[in-house]
Amino acid sequence: MAEEPEIKNGQTDYKALGFMCGLEIHQRLATEEKLFCSCATGVLDKSVKPIATISRYQRAVAGELGSMDKSAEFEQSRGRAFTYNVFEDNTCLVDIDEEPPHDLNREALEIALSIASSMQMHLVDEIQPMRKGVIDGSDPSAFQRTMLVGLNGSIKVNKLNINIPLMSLEEESSGIASSTNSSVIYNTDRLAIPLVEIDTDANIPDPKTAKAVALYIGTMLRLTGKVQRGIGSIRQDVNMSIKDGARVEIKGVQELGLIDKYIENEVERQKNLIAIKSRLIKAKAKVGKAVDVTAVFTDTKSEIISDNLRNGGAVFAFMLSGFKGILGLEINPNRRLGTEISDYAKMAGVNGIIHSDEEMSKYSISDKELVDLREKLGIKMEDSFIIVAGKRETAIKAIELAVWRADYSLKGVPKETRMAYDNDNCTSKFLRPLPTGSRMYPETDIRPIAVTEEIRKAALKLAPDVERERAYLDSKIRSNVVVEQLITSPKLQLFKSIIEETKVDPEFAGNILTQKFTELRRSGIDVDSIPDKRILEAFRFYANGKITKQGMEELIKHMGKDESDIAGILVKAKLMRIKGKELEELIASERKEHTGMSTDDLRNRIMAKCRLNVDGSELNSLLKSNP
Amino acid sequence: MLKLFKKNGIAVGDKIKIHFKGNEMAGELMPNTEVSAPDTIILKLENGYNIGMSYDKNMLFNRVSEGKSGIEFPKAKATTKKGLPKVTLIYTGGTIGSKIDYKTGGAFMLIKPEELLYEVPELSDIANIEIRQLFGIASEDMTSVEWAAIANAVKEAFDKGSRGVVVTMGTDIMHYTAAALSFMLCDLNGPVVVTGAQRSSDRGSSDAFFNLIASVSIAANSDIAEVGICMHYSSSDERCAFIRGTRVRKMHTSRRDAFRSVNDKPIAFVDRKMKITYNNDYNRMMGEIEKPVVAKTDFEKKVALVKYYPASDPDIFDYYIKKEYRGIIIEGTGMGHVSVSQANKNATPLIDGIRKAIEKGIVVGMTSQCIYGRVNNNVYRNLRIINDTGVIYCEDMIPETAYVKLGWLLGNYDAEESKRLLDKSIAGEIKKRSRYEEFLL
Repeated sequence: MAEEPEIKNGQTDYKALGFMCGLEIHQRLATEEKLFCSCATGVLDKSVKPIATISRYQRAVAGELGSMDKSAEFEQSRGRAFTYNVFEDNTCLVDIDEEPPHDLNREALEIALSIASSMQMHLVDEIQPMRKGVIDGSDPSAFQRTMLVGLNGSIKVNKLNINIPLMSLEEESSGIASSTNSSVIYNTDRLAIPLVEIDTDANIPDPKTAKAVALYIGTMLRLTGKVQRGIGSIRQDVNMSIKDGARVEIKGVQELGLIDKYIENEVERQKNLIAIKSRLIKAKAKVGKAVDVTAVFTDTKSEIISDNLRNGGAVFAFMLSGFKGILGLEINPNRRLGTEISDYAKMAGVNGIIHSDEEMSKYSISDKELVDLREKLGIKMEDSFIIVAGKRETAIKAIELAVWRADYSLKGVPKETRMAYDNDNCTSKFLRPLPTGSRMYPETDIRPIAVTEEIRKAALKLAPDVERERAYLDSKIRSNVVVEQLITSPKLQLFKSIIEETKVDPEFAGNILTQKFTELRRSGIDVDSIPDKRILEAFRFYANGKITKQGMEELIKHMGKDESDIAGILVKAKLMRIKGKELEELIASERKEHTGMSTDDLRNRIMAKCRLNVDGSELNSLLKSNP
Repeated sequence: MLKLFKKNGIAVGDKIKIHFKGNEMAGELMPNTEVSAPDTIILKLENGYNIGMSYDKNMLFNRVSEGKSGIEFPKAKATTKKGLPKVTLIYTGGTIGSKIDYKTGGAFMLIKPEELLYEVPELSDIANIEIRQLFGIASEDMTSVEWAAIANAVKEAFDKGSRGVVVTMGTDIMHYTAAALSFMLCDLNGPVVVTGAQRSSDRGSSDAFFNLIASVSIAANSDIAEVGICMHYSSSDERCAFIRGTRVRKMHTSRRDAFRSVNDKPIAFVDRKMKITYNNDYNRMMGEIEKPVVAKTDFEKKVALVKYYPASDPDIFDYYIKKEYRGIIIEGTGMGHVSVSQANKNATPLIDGIRKAIEKGIVVGMTSQCIYGRVNNNVYRNLRIINDTGVIYCEDMIPETAYVKLGWLLGNYDAEESKRLLDKSIAGEIKKRSRYEEFLL
């Protein structure tokens, strides 16, 4: 739809588009305790029941500069009730805003500083915990504690220098258990788990680089061995805009590999909205005021409308001239301008809007009703309209939001915080207006924390170094696949211990810890719960010749199910290696039984019988030396 | 360091740049309120974060622009609506009456009435609010002098036609204040509601908002003619309880439902829709009456509250005798014990100290550190021995209330009369029946 002068040789020219993009990476740390209390930090399984629930309401308070924040006001206008699930081991009074914070978790601080050090950041001398206002209810205190730990760092990705202007250490928010338009239920197990936020500046040149940057940072974080893993433990927010568009923050892209797709779609969306704006201006388009049209629908057959009216609801509508065909224009896969307007209306608590680019018969709205509606709105056939039905108060709020958004299409792209929600199409939807910044003030319940020389040195020692680790692995392992898997694997440290202590073949050890583990995991064996020291012990058995390579794989499988000692498993599962004299005897007895059999056939026979117990090369050399 | 800044023409609040080791930091200079690290420069960066930088003599400073002084908070005017009752809100300080300096985070400033009405606009729909700022002090700094000032201000408010009065203050000694007002304000004909906040009102989750709304509701719409504390009844923002001023006690350091009713049920509850539900007997308002509220504010300062603990030193009484104290409330153990030491040679008998004090004319009352329940002077032999010294057993009165009561009695009556009244109910602080359902409410 949009004209595309920005395409060069089939590639989008992002520079010409005025593309600006920065990332915010949020990563939960794997500490013993939460950031400001001693609660457990695991995210609980759904089967764990809360021991109590409490309900709260929050309101916007005048911010630092005396003005109410726009996103805070928006949230308060929704007047939602927040319920918090309290869990036995994971929630305490600090979490539910009933006790001041305890001292800052030193473990979390050390990890954060080591991450900052690895990006060559300037570490602050004294950390000042701050409160960042949050009033979507995700924090029972209505603010999130956050502190800046590092400034002005950089990383090198694909030979490009990417600046990291800041990194902070903060509290994770609560997870949503369920929500409706008037209330949200939050789980507080996740709340206040230490989290680092790493922000890049806005100079990422294109979506592919954005993805590479996210992958690099993700790798570096995992290298610390001190970050949580699993769904939701790392989140990427994208901040981006194009020329004549607007800054938009897309929150909650959980799959690293899809970042570029989300960005490409957002570029597309902004381009389309800009094109729509020009079309509307050319058509001298106008958006009318909201009108109460309840009377038109008193005897309606439309169930959507009559359901609302039955409960004392109301119907509102407004006119849009010069919009014909535009409300239904697709601006992103499966999303139209109408969808964008609808998402605003939904925020007030209605189920959606009806607009005139849709087929009216699908809502069972009659021709007579349409005529009456047009008359009531005072509009001509070529004009468009939008209808909202709901409880009176809700409908009023909804129609106002819809009018605002429809009117904004004449101005271009609104500044928004959007939420990644369609992982198949990689599209996002409106979440709330962009916060206006005046939302941070000092946390007076905690004293500033001095970053001493000693802490700095310790941090530097722990600092992960992606290039160094990669070079180390490359020197040991030929397979690139195994190197890439190991570098982000929680088993990296174990790998190092294994090859340093037992001197086994790194290729073999690396393969077991990555590909073999994945294979076993897929077949339903719980390899992740085998303690590292047991795995190391298994490699000692291998190094001492007590088990073969094939036997090792089988042993790991057993260890995932059987917690008894390894020597016992080897006997029970008949995995002890047959070697030396014992193997010679085996060969002799086989020979005796099958006199005249060729050496090759004999070897195959023995291997088929004792695949797990006999080392092929030993067998070969014995067969060779005793033909 | 301030001198150094002064030399460079830099003041707190200015936008400055610091050059150091090839780095450049720009931000607003914040006051350093920490005494522990006087050489730390606190900068507020553009992104809102504060950071601390250790001063180094090689740092170069320059001022970018002058700071703006004063933060304007939004305000709403007090309005007068026909048909709404008049409620006076008396401010005395504490968490609820203050706001944070968002920039420094340190200094708390007293909130202005118009700012409060902006933050809690609901109040203007319940009553025509008149706000009086009495003083701004932390609750723990309050003495009987401030209690008297508050009592007089409450009387004045009623005299000037208020239907009810709300007193806001810090929460730490709120229950002492509520008890003091209960005794000082005689012939009350309207609700006096003391309230506060456990979480400061700079945060959107503060309990201050609902506590204020519920308190003003009680003051404007209930027919209770007593003093009480109105705060959250649970950790949820669902219900506030109005608890009798002589029966209420802060039972938790930080929770918003810290104030509990001891040996008594809450008088009433207020829900989110401001609906009042009564839950106990109370003194009712009597319509238009001519008799004004009397503030009997005299208070004897030489009254002590002494906690007995295993092996506590009886010489403490010598101190109070020497200082010419006139009253002592003991927080004994169990039903009102202190060591009498007939059998155990190692014990330090407090009873000797009590005897000495009573001989010197000091009024001594006995309460229990169990907090819940009634003291008894008969059940054990030792209790009888203590009782025989002339100690007054204070029934089911909580220790803090007994302390305030004795101070008030000795301020207004002689020792004999004070002794006589100590175990008789004046403001609902004692009752004869101990009901089953009154424990751990």
